[in-house]
Parts: sequence; structure tokens; C-alpha cells
Amino acid sequence: MSISAGNAKPNPLDLILLWLGRILMGLAVLALVFLFVVFVILAINLIQFPFDYDQGEGFELWNAVLFSQGRWIYTDNEVYPFYSSLYGPVYPLLMTPLVALFGPHIAVGRALTFAVTLICGGVIYSIVYRETHDRLMAVIAALLFFASNFVYQIGALCRQHMTMVMFDLLGVALIARAVEESDNRRAHRYIVLSLLCLMLAGFTKPLALAAVLAVFAFLFLRRPKWAILYGIGFGLVVGLVFWLLNVATGGYWVTNMITANTNPFVTGQAELFYRQWFSLHPVITILGFGYVLYTIYLDRISVYSLYYLAAVAFGALSGKWGAGLSYFVDAIVAACIGTGIGLAVLRRWLQSRPRKRRPDQPCWKSIGLTAYGIVVPILLLVQFRANLHMPLDLPLTRPVAALLNIPSESPNRFRQDYFDTVGYTQLGHLTTDADIEAGYQIVEWVESTPGPAWTEEAMLSLLAGKDEVVTDPLVLYNLYQNGNLDVSEMIRMIDAQEFGIVVYRARFYPIPVLQAIEENYGLVDQIEMNGFVYDILLPRTDVD
Amino acid sequence: MSGEESAKDRKTGWLDNLIITKRMLGIALIALGMVIVIGTFAVDLFGVGKWGGIGPSQRLAIAGGVLIALVGVTLIPLGDRPA
Repeated sequence: MSISAGNAKPNPLDLILLWLGRILMGLAVLALVFLFVVFVILAINLIQFPFDYDQGEGFELWNAVLFSQGRWIYTDNEVYPFYSSLYGPVYPLLMTPLVALFGPHIAVGRALTFAVTLICGGVIYSIVYRETHDRLMAVIAALLFFASNFVYQIGALCRQHMTMVMFDLLGVALIARAVEESDNRRAHRYIVLSLLCLMLAGFTKPLALAAVLAVFAFLFLRRPKWAILYGIGFGLVVGLVFWLLNVATGGYWVTNMITANTNPFVTGQAELFYRQWFSLHPVITILGFGYVLYTIYLDRISVYSLYYLAAVAFGALSGKWGAGLSYFVDAIVAACIGTGIGLAVLRRWLQSRPRKRRPDQPCWKSIGLTAYGIVVPILLLVQFRANLHMPLDLPLTRPVAALLNIPSESPNRFRQDYFDTVGYTQLGHLTTDADIEAGYQIVEWVESTPGPAWTEEAMLSLLAGKDEVVTDPLVLYNLYQNGNLDVSEMIRMIDAQEFGIVVYRARFYPIPVLQAIEENYGLVDQIEMNGFVYDILLPRTDVD
Repeated sequence: MSGEESAKDRKTGWLDNLIITKRMLGIALIALGMVIVIGTFAVDLFGVGKWGGIGPSQRLAIAGGVLIALVGVTLIPLGDRPA
């Protein structure tokens, strides 16, 4: 066996194993590219779909519209239009110039998020390449990120989460550059930029605290004095911005960002999400941990290791009522970086092993490299299969579904035309012309009624040309559950039938509000769009 | 040590020259783990929490604290290598 033959001319078995490894790696990269193409297809499909796909997208767009009109998005939920946002201002502020340029179209937000997700992949590539100079592993790390079910599902939605992840990632990448910099002035410049990114991440979504802690822990390990000084400065600046926002909004910043986000911890929910995260990302999770252990015990602890540990720990917050799988995207990003760097380091280490000294000795270097060449692509293929998701009715995906024996029908699916290893999921499928047609039927109902519209999704009011979006149900629900919402004014308006129409999707409002609507509005139509049934209700005086 | 170097050291101070070692990190992690475990038990002394005895969140926190302390223990033999 010539893998024990050292410098001798490779024999046929060596060549077979070498080419087997190359073919497997080619297949693995092709499989991951397939998932990236599926993601691009979904993004293009969603950018063309003018309605809410995930409930909450339209409200994010409405926040940008309000900013473009010079209005705050943190207001009194007890006064008409009973609307406020419970998210940070950065994402809608990024959207604001685009809304001013292109108008209040959901495509604006989705295109922005899609670009942000592509930037995340690009940053992962650049980090792995900069650390290892291994282009293949850098590409694979980025593709593994795009292959994740969670990234696929939220990576082109008009939602703020990916923007937070992008700023987290930039903050982490910049701090890594800072500590390597021999010129102190440049190092300080990188640190300031890193902290600026982290502040933007935090004011996009407070979950960015995981990345903030990782960055400061890393800076403390490398430059304790800088960590203390910058930590004080960062705390003061963040505190000042927080205070200014609260003063400028008359205290509604705290009401909506803190009180409306204080939800109970659901026992078992976090455990369920942890299990799902691991079952969908087993290979990168384990390889990522392997990289963390390597940096702890054999090398210096890197910011990527700390980012991974912090992100995994903060995944526990997914147990909060209303949280979701998106809470693990930071952990997935860090795992992809760890996987890419870890595999590249392993290959470099194998390549640096000495060749055998005696002909009767096995050549561990050759054995190791051959095993690496075969095992790594197999692991990538295992990860691909664990992440598998695709629409089933496309010419591109049909042969893949047939090859992988994906059943065409399953009771565990939200839509039969979409397969996802997540199982039941309301995200990821492609929208159809029938969905768009159904959406415009609902909009026609809203347009045909006078006065403000009480719609559970913002896009229905926006596309109908209403002046205001009335309520964000999640904010109302959370505040009501916390005992911080007086619903008497909205119930008075409902009793007076001041809203021309009510459109429900999930009836996600405080119970007294639902009861008032039930008493004053009657069902006139039900329209199915995007897998959901929308109830159209008109004032009972009109219905009767 | 030359006069120039000692002047520089005086100017920069000990915090500038501090290198966090694996051993120091290990000790810090052991302390952190113990604080988490003790703090989690202390929660019951102050009557916080809805569960009688040790609840599921406390069990998780105790497990986390013990894990952090154990990682700390494994770092101590690595000595003065920079963390």
C-alpha cells in the first residue's frame, strides 16, 4: 500500500483514493452550491411578492416609512393608531433612504436583507481566507452558512435579524484585525470601527450582546488595559444614546424596547430549539467546538471561539415566549468560521508532518492526508443532507428530490410543494401567482372600505393606500400580557365601528380587543393566501 | 534592563504589560463557575423563583457553573502560556 510508501511514485491505490477524495469534494461543493442557488431562487421569488410572507415584515417597512416622514416609531400604544415598534431603529433607518427612493414596497426591505446576508457570507469567506490562506475552505465556510435552514428562511425577509448578525460579524472581524495590528494608531482605528459595528448591532436587536461580550472578553485576554478603557467608553456612549432615545420619545423607547419585549420564559422551548439547531447542523456544530477546544488548549483563544461560545449560550434566550430559531444564526455563523479555519489548520498540520524515515514504517502524513481528503467531503455531504430544503416543483430541484428520495406528499408539511429538514415550517416555500392574486383580492376589500383599516398585516393597509397602519398586534399582545396596556380607547373606536374593515390572519390581539371586534364586526369573506386563511370582517351594521 | 526600558515600563504601567495566561484564565473560570453555582443556590435563600426546591433553570445554571469551573481546572496545568 503506497500510502505507506513515502516519497515513492504513487501506486494505483493512491491515485484511486486521491481521485475519490477529489470527486467527493467536488460533489460536496456542488451540493452546497445547490443550496445556495435554492436560496437565491427564494430571494428572487420573495422580492417579487408584494405582501407579508412572514408576519411582521410589513411593520418593519412601516417603521421606515414613519422615519421617512420624520416620525418616531416608539409611541403611545394606547392612542390611535395604537402603533409602536419593539425593535431597534437601525434596520428601518437603513431602509429609510431606499423607501424614499423606491416607495414603500416590501421588496426594498427584502432586497436589503438579501444583500446583508450575502455580505455575511462574504465576511465569513474573508475571515477564513485571511486566517488560513485556504481559498477552498473559505468558500466552503461561506457556503455552509448559506446552506443553513435558518439562514435560508430569514435571509431574504424584511426583518432585522440578519442585519444584527452582519454588524456582529463585522465587529468580530474588525477586533481580530485590531489585535494583530502592530501600529497602535491603526489598531485603535479598528477597535473604534468594531465597537461602532457592535453598537449598530445592539441598536438593531439587543441579542447582539453575545457578540459584544465575546469581543470585550477577547480584547481583555489580549489587551486588558484597552478592554477596560474601551469598555467604559462603550458603556457610556451606549448608555447616552439609550437615554437620548428615551428622552426624545417621551419614554416610549423603554416601554416598547424593554417592557414590550419582557416575555415569560417557556420551559422546554429553549431545549427544543437547541435540539433542532444541533440536529440540523451536526457537522459544523461539532467541528466548530473542535476548533474552540483547539484554540483553548493548543493555541491562543480566538475571538471566533469566544463568539461561538457566547452565541451558543445566548441561544438559551430562544426559550423566551415569541423567540425563534433565528436566535441561533450567530452560533451558525461562528460555527462556519470555526469549521473553515479548523479544517484548514488540520490540513496544514497534516502537510507539515515529516515523511517516514524507514521504508518499513507507515507514512502517517500520507495516511492522514488521504483520510482527510475522503472524510472531510463526506462530512460536508452529511451536513448538506441535514440542511436539505428545496421547493419541489422546479426543474432544477425535481431531479435532486428524486435522487434523494424526497416524498412528494407529507402530512408534516405546511406546503406540499416544499421540503425542509426542519419539518413543519411556515417559511421557505415559494409564493405563487395564485398567492399574489389572492393578496390583491384582500387589498380590494380594504380599498373598498372607508376610514382606517384594522389589518393584522401592515402590507394590506399600505397597498390599499391607507394613511396609517393600525397596531402591531405583537406589541399590543405583549404589553397587555405584562399589564402595561390600557385598551379602552381602541375598544371605544371598535365599538363605534370607526374602522372600515378588520382583516385577521392569526387573531393575535389582547382578548378584550378580540371580544369587541367579535361584537361589532361580522365575517364576510375568507381568502387563502400563502397557506394562511385571512378573515375579512365588516361592521355588523353593514353586514346585517 | 537598560535605563531606557525601565523608563518605558514606568511610563506604561503594569496593566500595559499584563499578559493573561492560561493559568490565570483557569483560576478566573473556576471562580466564575463557583459564583454561578453559589448564586444559583442563593436564589432560593431570597425566595426568588416559582419552583419549590431547585427548578429546571437553576439545574441548568448549576450545570453551566460546574462546566465552567471544570474547564478552568483543565487550564491550570497549561501554565504561563498566553491565553
